Amino acid sequence: MPAAIEHLLPERLSRIVSRLDRSALDLLEELRIRESRPLEVVYGGQYAFVTAAGGLTLSADEAYRPDRDDCLKLLDILTNHSLYSFEEELRRGYITVRGGHRVGIAGRAVLDRGQVRLLRDISGFNIRLAREVRGAAERIIRSLIDPAQGLIHHTLVVSPPLCGKTTLIRDIARILSEGAWSGSRRPGRGVKVGIVDERSEIAASVEGVPTFDVGPRTDVLDACPKAEGMMMMIRSLSPQVIIVDEIGRKQDAEAIQEAMHAGIRVVATAHGKDIEDVRRRPDLAPLLAASAFSRYVVLTGTGSSRQQHVYDGQLRPINPMADKAALVR
Amino acid sequence: MIKLIGALMIIGASTMIGLYRAKAYAERPRQIRQLIHAVNRLATEIGYGSTPLPDALGKLAQQMQRPLDRMFQEAAERLGRERNATVRQVWQETVDRYWGLTAMKAPEKEAFIELGSTLGVSDRDNQLKFLELAKSQLQHEEAAAREEQVRFEKLSRTLGVLGGALIVILIY
Repeated sequence: MPAAIEHLLPERLSRIVSRLDRSALDLLEELRIRESRPLEVVYGGQYAFVTAAGGLTLSADEAYRPDRDDCLKLLDILTNHSLYSFEEELRRGYITVRGGHRVGIAGRAVLDRGQVRLLRDISGFNIRLAREVRGAAERIIRSLIDPAQGLIHHTLVVSPPLCGKTTLIRDIARILSEGAWSGSRRPGRGVKVGIVDERSEIAASVEGVPTFDVGPRTDVLDACPKAEGMMMMIRSLSPQVIIVDEIGRKQDAEAIQEAMHAGIRVVATAHGKDIEDVRRRPDLAPLLAASAFSRYVVLTGTGSSRQQHVYDGQLRPINPMADKAALVR
Repeated sequence: MIKLIGALMIIGASTMIGLYRAKAYAERPRQIRQLIHAVNRLATEIGYGSTPLPDALGKLAQQMQRPLDRMFQEAAERLGRERNATVRQVWQETVDRYWGLTAMKAPEKEAFIELGSTLGVSDRDNQLKFLELAKSQLQHEEAAAREEQVRFEKLSRTLGVLGGALIVILIY
């Protein structure tokens, strides 16, 4: 199994998961643990339940059902026996653990003046495995570079969950920071990259130090709210490119425009099936209406059927291969 | 002559027993005081620092005196190391193991174990309430222990000597 998640699970669950079929383990995307409901895995774009012996089945009746004890122990491990130091995470509904994996949690919300204060009676966990795929962005990176300035275009990456958004921008950060966008690394061409990593997913920082390779000239603001983080970056870290994940709120859109007007290139991601979807989101619509982005990358398909499509600012498709040919010439 | 040596040995032994018991009466409130200190520190670590429990216990261990330091140290290490352990269980086991080495008795042990079953499993406000509760219970026990100390510390010492003397008189 990805050794990374073994140390996250209490013994019983860890034993069951380690007996899973190799083919499923290698493609494992999500592990879903719900109290007294079947244990589920999502791998290679499909799902299955897991029996007590570690077999895969589609029948919910044969599946192993984690009990209260399993869930309590899992929560204990995830929070390092200290639920109280995870209040912010419990309010947002997920915990990022060592290795960049994100654990989504479901439970009962406790409200404070109409706002979610935290979750209690936590009974559902979704462990999403983070994978570092070096080279995930190599195929499309040339279509994103603005040859006139030798910098990346303002780029928005759009896709539904699990299509590899975060993996893609992590690799973009690495390539830009190394200056390796025309195939080979050329010394002296790397740019200063700033990552605002609100959910600690891009760089998977542990105690402030990235555990994924995000390049030699990259600064990471870990666990920092995006809008605020972008402003901090602009003021003090002088990045040439800012990379943020999952923009969606009004402040994010404003901060992005602020950064663009400060002469900084922005690479951002947003949830959505396609660009139209993003255009319909009230807080993001102004960004698109202002033609803020000059490149869009749409990701489709999960598992082995992943595809990357690149569009320019007028939504005309760019064929990465044709573009490459043009550049080489 | 031998009789005299024997008598002295009996008196010596019973005096020692008396002193030992007196020391236990004196130690108990002191150790409960230390526990209260520990609870206070823990409240600070949790309330202001949001320090994870294993780290907080490790820090506590460095400020405690023997044998309490080892109790906290072991709890901290086990929480950091064991994947299957819950705070409640580790707490109970370490307290059970080290309590015999202290001069403390059952009531404060109960209060302290009770605290262990609430640590780390709720939000900050809640934790502080539980810590406050444990503190007031411990303070209550401390007062009781002090009272006992006043009443029995001297008494045990004198009883030790006098008891030895009594045995000697009876068998002489």
